Amino acid sequence: MAGSTNKTVHDIFQSMEYGPAATSSTATAQAWLEHHSRSLGLFIDGKFVRPADRQSRSLADSKGGHVCSTVCAVEDDVSQCASSAVNGHKAWVNLSCHQRAKVLLRLVSVLGQHGPCVSELCELCDAACSPSTLVRLLQYYSSWAQLRDTLITNWTPLGVVAVVVSDDCSLYSLMIKVLPALAMGNAVIVVPGLSTAPPALLLAQLFVAAGLPPGALNVLTGSDLSLGAKVAQNSSISYVTYSGNKQDGVMLCKATAGMGVSVSVSPYIGARCPFIIFESADIDSAVDAVIETAFKKKREVLWVLCVQESVQDSVVARLRLRMVGMKCVGLHSDGDRVLVDAAVQDAQQQGATLVQSCAAPPSGAQYPPTVLCGAAPSSPFVVSPSPGPLLPLMTFRSNTEAVTLGNHSPHGQAASIWTEDLTLALETAKSLSVGSVWVNSHSVSDPCLPVSGHKDSGTCTDGGQEGLYQFLRPSSSSPPLPRSSPVSLNYSKFGTAASPAIIPDDSDSASAPKPYLQFVGGKACKSVSGCSVAVQSPGGGSVLAYCPDGDRKDVRNAVEAAVKVQPGWMKKSPSARAQSLYSLAKGLEAKRRDLCGSISVQTGLSSDEVDEEVELSIARLNDWAAYCDKVQGGTPPLPQSGCALSLPEALGVVGVVLPDKNPLLAMVTLLGAAIGNGNAVIMVPSQKYPLPALAFIQVLQASDLPAGLVNVITGSRDQLTVALANHSVIKAIWYWGSAEGCQYLQHTCTSPLKVLRLSCQKKDGGKEWNQSHPSLLEEMWRNAVQWKSVWIPTA
Amino acid sequence: MSARNPGTKLDLEWISKVRVNTHAILKRAQHIQGQKIPKKQWQAAWLLKAVTCIDLTTLAGDDTPSNVHRLCLKAIQPIRSDLLKEMDMHNKGVTTGAVCVYPSRVADAVKSLKAANSSLPVASVATGFPAGQTPLETRLQEVRLAVADGASEIDIVINRTLAITGRWEAMYDEIRQFREACGDAHMKTILAIGELGTFTNVYKASLVAMMAGSDFIKTSTGKESVNATYPVAIVMVRAIRDYFLCTGHKVGFKPAGGIRTAQESLVWLILIKEELGNDWLCPLLFRLGASSLLADIERQIYHHVTGQYADYHELPMA
Repeated sequence: MAGSTNKTVHDIFQSMEYGPAATSSTATAQAWLEHHSRSLGLFIDGKFVRPADRQSRSLADSKGGHVCSTVCAVEDDVSQCASSAVNGHKAWVNLSCHQRAKVLLRLVSVLGQHGPCVSELCELCDAACSPSTLVRLLQYYSSWAQLRDTLITNWTPLGVVAVVVSDDCSLYSLMIKVLPALAMGNAVIVVPGLSTAPPALLLAQLFVAAGLPPGALNVLTGSDLSLGAKVAQNSSISYVTYSGNKQDGVMLCKATAGMGVSVSVSPYIGARCPFIIFESADIDSAVDAVIETAFKKKREVLWVLCVQESVQDSVVARLRLRMVGMKCVGLHSDGDRVLVDAAVQDAQQQGATLVQSCAAPPSGAQYPPTVLCGAAPSSPFVVSPSPGPLLPLMTFRSNTEAVTLGNHSPHGQAASIWTEDLTLALETAKSLSVGSVWVNSHSVSDPCLPVSGHKDSGTCTDGGQEGLYQFLRPSSSSPPLPRSSPVSLNYSKFGTAASPAIIPDDSDSASAPKPYLQFVGGKACKSVSGCSVAVQSPGGGSVLAYCPDGDRKDVRNAVEAAVKVQPGWMKKSPSARAQSLYSLAKGLEAKRRDLCGSISVQTGLSSDEVDEEVELSIARLNDWAAYCDKVQGGTPPLPQSGCALSLPEALGVVGVVLPDKNPLLAMVTLLGAAIGNGNAVIMVPSQKYPLPALAFIQVLQASDLPAGLVNVITGSRDQLTVALANHSVIKAIWYWGSAEGCQYLQHTCTSPLKVLRLSCQKKDGGKEWNQSHPSLLEEMWRNAVQWKSVWIPTA
Repeated sequence: MSARNPGTKLDLEWISKVRVNTHAILKRAQHIQGQKIPKKQWQAAWLLKAVTCIDLTTLAGDDTPSNVHRLCLKAIQPIRSDLLKEMDMHNKGVTTGAVCVYPSRVADAVKSLKAANSSLPVASVATGFPAGQTPLETRLQEVRLAVADGASEIDIVINRTLAITGRWEAMYDEIRQFREACGDAHMKTILAIGELGTFTNVYKASLVAMMAGSDFIKTSTGKESVNATYPVAIVMVRAIRDYFLCTGHKVGFKPAGGIRTAQESLVWLILIKEELGNDWLCPLLFRLGASSLLADIERQIYHHVTGQYADYHELPMA
């Protein structure tokens, strides 16, 4: 740009070009880095720690200059950090809600003093996050810290939580996990990515200045994401939550499988999101938004432009006009340029036409913003998008087709829809299976809006009150998974062992064991294989009955049936679902004697205990029926003017592997939670005690539930767990079983992601099914829904 | 020089399809206001561009030949010539876009400019300015008289009654007649956006005005409570773009009322550059209606050249 400063006034008067962009000063941040000799340590126990003999990792700014280096932590550092966090948690959790809230608020004023340093450092590290955004986050979560015990009674913090992010994760996405965890009273160990490391370290330091007890927030930097798994391995960690790209998230899930710690992921980066422009849209404003969001260098979501056929020409003409003169966007490497060129060439060979701001330069790591018109869902650049500022444009005919097109993607992160028709906007928002819908806007984020990726875009909710629960558990429950070390498990062999054949000793025809049927698609039937397994009496010894030996084909049939009826069931009014559950409870009452009989034969419990279990089961179904139309979303108050909705939605088809304990009560409790919220279920009764569940089939048959909504498949637990894990339609698995089973599911259910609720069965203890504490039921319905936020801005 | 906008038939279907999202427009306006404004010589060049786009205006009851004469001479030498010389812009014909007066003062302005050997156009407001609440016949006559007196640009006001009640056909017919009365004089149509209610109405009125053959569309008279705001300007320039995409004719844009500072004039130029592109950054397609703006721009340029802030008396008054 040396020549540009010689431009005369007259030259500029003719060309009317903008001047060179002013470079902002980063002096304050540089001074902070210099103070640390440009080599940042770990932040443990309220201070910087610089252990000797560690490798370091260097961070460069956008022009390639050295910013600073960070330490690569090793096992010793992890254990030191974990024990500091345990102490930090003690100090932090013993403060009152008000005191915790005050610390968060004090950080706001500390940020006020050091705002320039924070924002300059963020800019240097390419992890942009404005101080006003941080202030909003802090103010929002400080009020939750203040109100925790008032509004969220009977929930307790988890302990030490690890927040792990990938290198490309933004500071906002990191903080939207760290702050709620702290606000709820947990200690947090942050494992930041390369670019978020310096700002995270600085914020940790400022947090201590604001009065956070040492150890409540520690920051460990590493060479890559494997540090996250090392931290998870530490037995004082209660929960691991991840944000960033999909590959690293999957790697973390696989690496932590079997550690006995629950891991949830928000792989929001790289999600393909529809940008839908209806003919009833303000097309100029929509095009404006496309220009603003689609061609950024740091793309978090990959937009796919879906335009109604009738306005395609008008959209393309405006894009063409607006894109004139847009500058080339920098790519990350020359390798990316090769990929972009290949993708564009491919697209052109398939007949796509290009709208480009200028011709592509012959080489180099940059490319002009490009719209690929004439894309189809099967185009290679849509299926596997290349890096670079490429935007595919597809057309649709009708409103329903827009939804179909938008939903036809493995991701469910977000959608932007443009129409001035309110009815159409709300109908579309409801039908899209994504976590965030932005009407006539895009990329709006605020801590009070819950963000919950659907499908392959996440297994937890961040933000809003809904996002607090990942850092809490009901006070009356114990952690569901005991800490363990992963065993060496042959994942391809798991669940393939043949079930032992048991042939009854005595062939007394009078007491010949009864053959039971399973329940698939609304019909009682044998297993597809025709095989059955013997059910033994509680003491062992004799054979009580034979039940079908279901396998993956039975699961497949059940899923087919379930997925047919689930959307209709979800659309039914909550009160209609409530009536069905009430009548199910009535049906159970009518068959009380049969059920009592099966429980007592199966478990050998006393008749009082059996009576109580059936009685509680009836009450539980009534509970869920009553809950149906009480579970509701809200209208989060955003600082901007407009209307936000937070809606609970069914997950879809849920697989449930039932516990041995309280075979009937556990079954109806989980069944009620699932179908009351609009899900369909495939239930695998306890392998040991299947009879009460099988006896319950007659109640299901007599009920008015749609055929296929509830399916019951018996057989080898491990074999059926494998079948559930490997069916992509199943969106969630609730599992009670062995530690190996938990490890198998954690390792396997990553592509596509499933929401896992795992419990390792112990000899005694485990979930107390006969408790009906409100927070326990609340936890269950929260597990049975996913959240969708809709944002409709107004003037 | 491209041909004037001949207008088109009134296309009511096109008008019925107009959709404007108020929130998105406001956000866009905020974004444009938040853009970094050019600095150093870029700023000087942009400010000079703004000067060439000014319709230097006096619209007061006490206008007389003497203050109109002063205005005309300021219009042909808007920036002190020694300052222009410093930037090597003294011989580049920097004058304002036009002078703008009431119909009765047109003859005075034409006389003053002729005496100064300037071909600067004289613009006149007409058609019952500012309210437009006079009979059509007298409004037409007003246009004819102003043209006869030598005005080469006529700023007409639309009949708001017709626009607010959605009688687009009647409004189209009226503007068509004004255009005929203008003859060769360029017609700028004032929409008085402060009185149209919604952005959608502003967009529709803009389209109708362009279909009826306006050479410019102008935000307001400067006499309403709401004048030229950035959001409403975005709506109007998008209508201009829409019209250009459909017909190929470029219609000009003139914000007026309340534009007083050099800073604001830069934002206006950025808005036009962002929404319509560089083609529109010339007096042929962009005008700023203003009276006191020029003084502030001249002070800024004084500062750019000398590094000092000028007192008002150091720069020639209008």
